[in-house]
Amino acid sequence: MKLLTKTNRVYLSFSVGIYLLTALAFYAIIKLVIYDEVESRLLVEKRDFEAYIQAHNSWQGGYFVENKISVIPVTNALPTEDFKDTLILNRYDHELVPFRELTYYTRINGQAHRVSIRKSLIQSYRLIEVITVSMVAFLSLLFLCSFWFQSRLSGQLWQPFYNTLAKVRKFDLSSSTPLLLPAEEITEFNELNDVLQKMSEKLHQDYQSLKEFTENASHEIQTPLALINARVEQLIQSETLTESQSYWLDEIYRASRRMSKLNQGLLLLAKIENRQFADVDLVDLYVLITEKLYDMEEILQHKQLRVFTKGTATFPRMLPVTLADVLLSNLVSNAIKHNVTGGLIRIESTTDQLCISNTGPAPTITPDRLFERFKKGRDATASISAAMNDTEEGTARHYAPTNSIGLGLAIVKQIGDSYGLTISYTYAEGEHRICLR
Amino acid sequence: MKMLVVEDERGLAESVSAYLTKEGFICEIAGTYAEAEEKIYLYRYDCVVVDLTLPGGDGFSLIKSLKALTATTGIIIISARNALEDKIKGLEIGSDDYLTKPFHLSELNARVKSLIRRRNFGGHNEIRFQEIQVLPNARKVYIHDRETPLSRKEYDLLLYFLSNIDVALTKASIAEHLWGDDIDSADSLDMVYSHIKNLRRKLVEKGAADYVRSIYGIGYKFGLS
Repeated sequence: MKLLTKTNRVYLSFSVGIYLLTALAFYAIIKLVIYDEVESRLLVEKRDFEAYIQAHNSWQGGYFVENKISVIPVTNALPTEDFKDTLILNRYDHELVPFRELTYYTRINGQAHRVSIRKSLIQSYRLIEVITVSMVAFLSLLFLCSFWFQSRLSGQLWQPFYNTLAKVRKFDLSSSTPLLLPAEEITEFNELNDVLQKMSEKLHQDYQSLKEFTENASHEIQTPLALINARVEQLIQSETLTESQSYWLDEIYRASRRMSKLNQGLLLLAKIENRQFADVDLVDLYVLITEKLYDMEEILQHKQLRVFTKGTATFPRMLPVTLADVLLSNLVSNAIKHNVTGGLIRIESTTDQLCISNTGPAPTITPDRLFERFKKGRDATASISAAMNDTEEGTARHYAPTNSIGLGLAIVKQIGDSYGLTISYTYAEGEHRICLR
Repeated sequence: MKMLVVEDERGLAESVSAYLTKEGFICEIAGTYAEAEEKIYLYRYDCVVVDLTLPGGDGFSLIKSLKALTATTGIIIISARNALEDKIKGLEIGSDDYLTKPFHLSELNARVKSLIRRRNFGGHNEIRFQEIQVLPNARKVYIHDRETPLSRKEYDLLLYFLSNIDVALTKASIAEHLWGDDIDSADSLDMVYSHIKNLRRKLVEKGAADYVRSIYGIGYKFGLS
């Protein structure tokens, strides 16, 4: 619910309540005042009547007009005196007319009589009606006016807030345009803008320094690694290396390359998380994945993998071209790496999903942890390649367990999360299947 | 052939320079932007290897002034930044190649040589090693003047060997040269092995001597020794 609707609603119901109460109170007060007036006049007439009785000691009527008084002899006089409302039929137009009546008992000539003195309320009722109607009219007008005014006013008062909201919504951390909020007349909004502005500047700064940090960190790590590699490469030119020395050098060399890959992978993840890839394009992932497989033809042949593609529809999605490339490269290498010699890779593309399946041994870790960083299952490739590799130096064992850096699927997941692709994994009938939705 | 290596990491600059000197280049080193700028104003180089992040300046602006001075100088960028934008920007302002750190010295050497070949001979060039003759423009290989058909990868492999004669090449550097950076290593190392086997077989069949020697635990060496 919008703030203005909410305040209007509260204001409306509160006003209607107050309005009804006021009307009731007003009615009661007017009625009270009128009754008070009528009753005091009745009491004056009673005194007149008493004075008359005292002077004449009898009652012939005539002093009062019709219906104004009735004197009825009764057997015994009660010492009461009370007022009540009554309706009396008008003689001429046969309408019931409201009266206020004072009833008391008195003795005339020793005979007890009940005396009722009445006064017509018709004028007073009309008065109440007129007052009530005009009051309703005026109050409603006032009410409507103030309601209209209040909603206009708060609409205007809150306008800066909505402006700010719109600007904050448009604010993009990765773009270089800062959040510019104007100074407002109202202190609270001014403060709000101030705080938001400071916060956005801080965010921007943090984002920039994070960006620079990741890039610098990468640079600072890659350069020494390049030095290690270069030095090792120089060292292996030496003719006098013993076997174990070459073995150690090779280990150093490969470890430093792995570290570099790891660094690049983590940097890539950080960049995706920071949304540093700004330009998204419409990329047909189905076309791209078939191209990827074509690029990998040699390795497919080498591992004797058969590829089946079944594209019933293209699979275009919005994402940065670089990341689309990384995503599909990782998926394809994954399907190759965890395959078996003579196995197969299947690509299926429909309008709502793109799936890549490959034959391979059952996963050794639970599927939902597969996409976590550094989660490596048993390295299937290593065992296969070691088994089929008969290199003359017999060095295959050195290469076995250290291939994967364990970031490939984490990167896939991160790209999916950042660009609205759902990635699911299933394993059934000896086939791993990863689907993008 | 005169070369300038612009790199602020002293050790790396030395390694590159030592490696290239061994390959017959005259190599100079500049460790800062100012030093590099001075050198390119004073001397002429056939090829310059530039790091993008330098103390005192940006590698890109160095490349721009270099291009303004001598347009024929070949430029190879070596950078720790693996960003596509950097690569594109580098090529746009006139550099010829881009290598991401860490790189293999043998790869850098091969790229430098290929660049110089393209620059100096206008395409009409050939590489000769003993009885092997390669025409890079036509991608043709002759042994004892008889054409020897090779597959694309075998040809690339041979050219890589010919660029790095008598140098121990690691299997990883060969694999990366042939398939790029992101191919899975275990498989690519197997494939390196089978490609080398095929190349050797084809060369020997056509009457060339077997110049490939494997080095235990490291890789291969191509040469006379």
